Amino acid sequence: MTTSRNLPLGAVALFLAAAVSASAHHSFGAEYDANKPITLTGTVTKVEWTNPHSFFYLDVKDASGKVTNWKLEGFPPNVLYRTGWKKDVTIKQGDEITVTGWHARDGGDWGHSREVTFKDGKKLFFGPPAGTGDGGNAPSVAVPAK
Amino acid sequence: MPKSRIVLLFAAAALPFIVEGQTATSKVPRAADGKPDLTGVWQGGSSRIGTWEEANAGGGTNATTGQVTPFAVRGPQEKAPYQPWAAEKVLESFNRRGIDDPMARCLSPGVPRTTTMGLFPMQIVQTPKTIVMMFEVFHVFRVIPIGVQHPDDLEASFMGDSVGRWEGDTLVVDAIGFNDKTWLAGTGTFHSDKLHVIEKFTRMDENTIAYEVTMEDPAVLTKPWVQHSTIMLRPGTRLREYECAENNTDLNRYEKLLQDESVFRRK
Repeated sequence: MTTSRNLPLGAVALFLAAAVSASAHHSFGAEYDANKPITLTGTVTKVEWTNPHSFFYLDVKDASGKVTNWKLEGFPPNVLYRTGWKKDVTIKQGDEITVTGWHARDGGDWGHSREVTFKDGKKLFFGPPAGTGDGGNAPSVAVPAK
Repeated sequence: MPKSRIVLLFAAAALPFIVEGQTATSKVPRAADGKPDLTGVWQGGSSRIGTWEEANAGGGTNATTGQVTPFAVRGPQEKAPYQPWAAEKVLESFNRRGIDDPMARCLSPGVPRTTTMGLFPMQIVQTPKTIVMMFEVFHVFRVIPIGVQHPDDLEASFMGDSVGRWEGDTLVVDAIGFNDKTWLAGTGTFHSDKLHVIEKFTRMDENTIAYEVTMEDPAVLTKPWVQHSTIMLRPGTRLREYECAENNTDLNRYEKLLQDESVFRRK
């Protein structure tokens, strides 16, 4: 490698890759519980294509026939575009979809969306992984011994 | 002098230069002034080669299996050398799952976090006298004049004041003039207005900038904090809009969560 003389020593360690959870606009981990995964199937009633996060609303019918309108949070429009979505085209009011994600910590009818599956089987990510923005697996500082 | 000899002389004079250029810098694009050209759209905090879509595909947690595939891949990093009282504060922020992140209030992410977080693309435009870095996140930009001193009338700001110089093929950016309202890197990594950041950008090849950042802050750190990562070229990507304040409902929800921190706090 002819350019290696320019390589800072520490940069070599980069190729011993370690996973770091992605940073986000705000802490999904504070609001949503990564230990409470949800899978919902229903009909889209509204889409908010907005910053810093988009939302869609889903009418979900339970076994007794009772309908609950869920609110699902996800990526902003810039990320949705790069993840394969088009505003007013990919997801519309009336679409029947299934979404995986995580339930809000307060147990309300809202959650953090991850993967949407459309009727034709196509799958796209609407939101980030669980825990995004909440600091990841370890703090940036050594934990002092107690 | 015969024409053929003149040509030969030029060729002989040019030869060592060409060979040197080819061996030392085989795949590094050069600007007209001979400096490595950093112009392009890039993603910080990643080491994956490819378009944005290729490099970021498939990342995340599989909701069924729980398997985690990283979006951005970084090297192992040195723990931040905070003074004990300051480390406690960083740890507290981690335990509160970053609910106090200034970015949640749509505030500029600061330096070097804006570059390293890699969530959205950044664009570099290079001229001999000025290098401009534009970030999709929050419309943040850095104007970096080359070969000048910091102004003497700085006021504390989120992104500070940056000046650049070339050390061989490395762009060195010196930044001061910060407020204390941003985080340096991970959750809770606060700093004071004494922050001094020195960044080294070295274009290694077509796809890669080696990025070394040294953060000095005697008010909160015990020694300079050095981090290494790479910034990767993202061909075909263009900066889009990210207007954070449009529909920022997080703060209202946070207000409710903060009434009982046991709901979200790490045990």
